[in-house]
Amino acid sequence: MTEHLLNSKQMAQFVASGYLKFEDMIPKDLCEACREEMPNFGGYMAVGTPFEETWPKNTPLGDAFRLPQVQGLIHSLIGPDPLYDHHAAHLVKANQMRGPDAHQDSVIDFRENYFDIQLSFFPVDTTDEMGGTFLIPGTQYRNVRTGEIGLYQHMRGKIWATCPAGTMYVWNTRVWHGSRSNHTDQDRYMFKLRLNPTRPQIRTFDTSDLDDPAIPGILNTNHGWEGNEHRYELMHRMKLWRYLSGQPDYDIGERFLRRIEYNPGRVAVA
Amino acid sequence: MPPVQDILVLFQTAPALDTQVVAWARYEASKGARIQDLVEEEDPPYNTAIEAMRDGWQVIQMSELKHRVPEDGYELGPLPYQTVLARYNVLEEEE
Repeated sequence: MTEHLLNSKQMAQFVASGYLKFEDMIPKDLCEACREEMPNFGGYMAVGTPFEETWPKNTPLGDAFRLPQVQGLIHSLIGPDPLYDHHAAHLVKANQMRGPDAHQDSVIDFRENYFDIQLSFFPVDTTDEMGGTFLIPGTQYRNVRTGEIGLYQHMRGKIWATCPAGTMYVWNTRVWHGSRSNHTDQDRYMFKLRLNPTRPQIRTFDTSDLDDPAIPGILNTNHGWEGNEHRYELMHRMKLWRYLSGQPDYDIGERFLRRIEYNPGRVAVA
Repeated sequence: MPPVQDILVLFQTAPALDTQVVAWARYEASKGARIQDLVEEEDPPYNTAIEAMRDGWQVIQMSELKHRVPEDGYELGPLPYQTVLARYNVLEEEE
């Protein structure tokens, strides 16, 4: 397990951008078996139950999400013993077009010091023309009601999945995202699995590089759309990083959190 | 056939018309009732609303500044400001 944990720089990137991408996560032969299994894998299982008990065993998709490298990724972000939330084999059929589709999953969610993860697995080579899922990196701190952000047809910083078979994206479920047109004659699948933590998400990753001087710069990433809001984004990133890394006073640069926390007139009330 | 209204919405992080555009949307009634296939665009059609105005777009709404209170002064949600622009174009045959 330890060898597959995310390091601190990767976690900082997840805090700043809300996603990470890993090519070659699932071996090619297992990808092919998973692709064959996807159309008939079945629908929702029991929401909120232990993943290990609920997730099927001895099937290609059962095995894929139990690979050590996938388990290490899950553990790094949400800790041990996660709960199954839901899964879906998302299909955009050959030559199926999509209009504006930006949305935030599920319902508006104000939980602090908490996030669910979604694993998005692409079982075949996914080209630009096949319409891989798009994400707006960094939007995970912006709470909106599901599909109302379809208004944002285009946004600076938007990325979309173009990747070889076996690639897995992992993302904070609150990242704004959507599907895209498939301009090929080949059906496009993306298999997603959502998981919940069962305990505080504190230092669940490899913290041996926690003092790496690259981390402040990573946390300060500008995705192109933040503009005048960047320092407010940064304050939310700092709060989550303080929590995940177990550093309650952490701050960077101009220390905007300190600027609203520092107050010598504040007296503790017994 | 009389011209019909096309709408361009430019989203910004400050309300001034010379603020950088960070997101955008088109509702071009002249071209059809809905966008069937959204073609990706890396950059906005105009960098600022005033650039669009210089290309013939008329501003029909601009944003007011927001009053901030402690309870939600740091909360993040939708992009805070937008400029709505209109231009009239001749109706095209729908494909």
